Amino acid sequence: MSELDNEPDIDRTRRHLVKAIPATGLAVMVAGCAGGNGDGETTTDGGDGDMTDDTDDGEMTDGGGGPSGTVEVLHGWTGGDGARAAGALETAFSEADTDVEVEMNPIGGGGNQNLDAVVANRLQSNDPPGSFANWPGPNLRRYEGVLGNVDDVWDENDFQDAMVEEAIDLHQMNGSFRAVPLGSHRLNCLFYNVSVVEEAGVDVESLTSVSALLDALDTVSTETDAIPMTQAMSGTWTITQLWAAVMLGENGYQSYMDFIQGNGSEGDVRSAFESLATIHENYISDDASSLDLTASNQNIINGNAAFIHQGNWAAGAFRNAENFDYNEDWGFKTFPGTEGMYTLHFDSFLYPADNPTPEASKVWEAFVGSPEAQIAFNQFKGSIPTRTDVSMDQFGPYLQETAEDFANAENRPPTLQHGLAVESSVMTQLNEVISTEFTGPYNVDAATQGFLDAVPNMS
Amino acid sequence: MTESRGDRSARSDGGSVTEEGPVREGFLRRLSVPLDRRFGSDFFESSPFWLPPFLLMALFVYGAIIWNLMISLTDYTGFAGSPDYSNLDFEMYTQAFSDPGFREAAINTLILLVAFTAATLIVGLLLAILIDRGIRFENTFRVIYLLPMSLSFVVTAQFWLWMYNFNNGIANRLVGSIGLGPYDYIGNQALVLWAVIFALMWQFSGYAMVVYLAGLRAIPTEHYEAAQVDGASTVRMYWRVIIPQLKGATISAAVVLMVFALKAFDFLYSLVSGYRPPNGADILATKMVREAYANLNWSYGAAIAIILFALALAVIGPYLYYEYQRGYL
Repeated sequence: MSELDNEPDIDRTRRHLVKAIPATGLAVMVAGCAGGNGDGETTTDGGDGDMTDDTDDGEMTDGGGGPSGTVEVLHGWTGGDGARAAGALETAFSEADTDVEVEMNPIGGGGNQNLDAVVANRLQSNDPPGSFANWPGPNLRRYEGVLGNVDDVWDENDFQDAMVEEAIDLHQMNGSFRAVPLGSHRLNCLFYNVSVVEEAGVDVESLTSVSALLDALDTVSTETDAIPMTQAMSGTWTITQLWAAVMLGENGYQSYMDFIQGNGSEGDVRSAFESLATIHENYISDDASSLDLTASNQNIINGNAAFIHQGNWAAGAFRNAENFDYNEDWGFKTFPGTEGMYTLHFDSFLYPADNPTPEASKVWEAFVGSPEAQIAFNQFKGSIPTRTDVSMDQFGPYLQETAEDFANAENRPPTLQHGLAVESSVMTQLNEVISTEFTGPYNVDAATQGFLDAVPNMS
Repeated sequence: MTESRGDRSARSDGGSVTEEGPVREGFLRRLSVPLDRRFGSDFFESSPFWLPPFLLMALFVYGAIIWNLMISLTDYTGFAGSPDYSNLDFEMYTQAFSDPGFREAAINTLILLVAFTAATLIVGLLLAILIDRGIRFENTFRVIYLLPMSLSFVVTAQFWLWMYNFNNGIANRLVGSIGLGPYDYIGNQALVLWAVIFALMWQFSGYAMVVYLAGLRAIPTEHYEAAQVDGASTVRMYWRVIIPQLKGATISAAVVLMVFALKAFDFLYSLVSGYRPPNGADILATKMVREAYANLNWSYGAAIAIILFALALAVIGPYLYYEYQRGYL
């Protein structure tokens, strides 16, 4: 520094340069910015409709011997069951009779958040993948304007007859099909550790109402040292999900449907929150706030906890644990009060407009809905096919029972936390309410009001 | 002087090759002389060296910031269409200031910024003074204190999560041994932000220590000796003689730490594997990503980003000005 001080000339030069930078920089920025705008507008205008249709037609007439090429597929199944299932799906596709190749790009982490962010960036920059995994239903709304239609795929493959009835509505937006379902998880599940429940003397089959469940949790807490209900609260999604199950179990299908359509009964929403507060205040573990799903499942496997409410992906963790068998070590009960219901979830592949490989992507979409794909994927994923005509022989006993319940269910209410019941912005809002009002201390009044306010009136 | 010498050689070169030489040279000269006069000698001649990186920076950093500012003035959401720049207003900013979630995140960000920086500087200074006292195994201790900084947030977040576990975390064991607690560090909204600050302080105090240690080593031994000859106690010597000389080190360490605090996103994200930190620990960075990617409110997310940028500028700006005043820039 002393050297600099001795040479005022150099010093001054550098100082002048510093002054000059902002001025010149600003000019360049404005130019760059204006250029950016222009680009954005032109591409999007093209992408809005015309371009997509043109490309589609072009390829259809050109493709003499069926489409070929490589479809890029994004999904979020990176760990355990998911990765295995995705691998099985990829193998099944390579064995299928087509000239199309698939390039699977898994993007894991943060639930589906990282996948969603990557998809958002790519759709935003007009560089969509051939297809990506996501939830259908109102969740499709967030992709409004950038999804193409796969009506022809549904027609050519008779998916309308083959798929479960609910799939037909939930895969459409603005009158066209936008996606094809691959599998379905069930949300109204109560899993338990058989030996803990037996030690407490609880007869699980008799739990057919939320109040019976509360009594059973109380029995577990007095009769054993185990945690009555393990709850992973490091995220809010488990809480929203449990609230939905309690809401269904306590107030029934119609009240739940009224709520998601924005006509929720204040008393019903409140009573569900009251029961949830009872569970959270008395029957979950003290360290729930630092538990994630894996740790929570581990509590059941280790016999540290009696019950867990989860989607049936949790069954995958139990199945993979050593010496931990269905009906001997762990058991399943439809969430109390939701007997005869199957809370519906779909894993689907969405079809972006302005598709880089329009025809090849449609071959992929058609494959996703085929029996081969659904069997290959779901038996490992721990979910069940969305087709009603698939043989369940290759599936384990637990999934066979699930498929039976699925087929015989009186009602299949859509899951609240996984895109089928409300739009994603509403879902985020519900989770904000849970985070601020219901992660302890539990404010039933504010949470009730927050939930009722969050859901827009659909009717 | 330099210019005329350059001119002469240029003329002889240009003249021998082509006739265009004098014309171009005349144009360049007309351009370069006033520029050099305005910005100092060699401004023009040196431009091939600094101009390309300068333009790249301008476009990709400052251009992106300006673009982000433009987006924050639109109402852009979702994927359909592109931002409409014809109708710019500050609606997103008024929305932000009336959004209780935003206000909470902003307050948490400020608390994190101030408390984390202050605590880290104090701990770093104490460590540096202890190590500077000529202790045994000095290098070993220095490495031990610096090590946490080399770990990624993903790692540190996970093991602080374990340490903060209510039932078997070491944090509760420790406070339990002096008869306190147990506390629910992550689940209690009054505690969680402080728990995060403590974890970040643990990770970065080693950095503050290194900066202070360099500062301490630059202070001549005579200052210590003079203070001791004058009969100052050790505490008094540090407080009145040594610490005032560490002003430069404090400022540069504080700036780096504050910028780290604004970027605590990684730590919170890893803590819960998601964009929604535990209630009570939401900061602007997480709120921004949630708005942009979970809700696709691009313009609202951009507005939060600009506010965050203004905060960072408020931290960095005075430092740059201070350095500029002292002639370091």
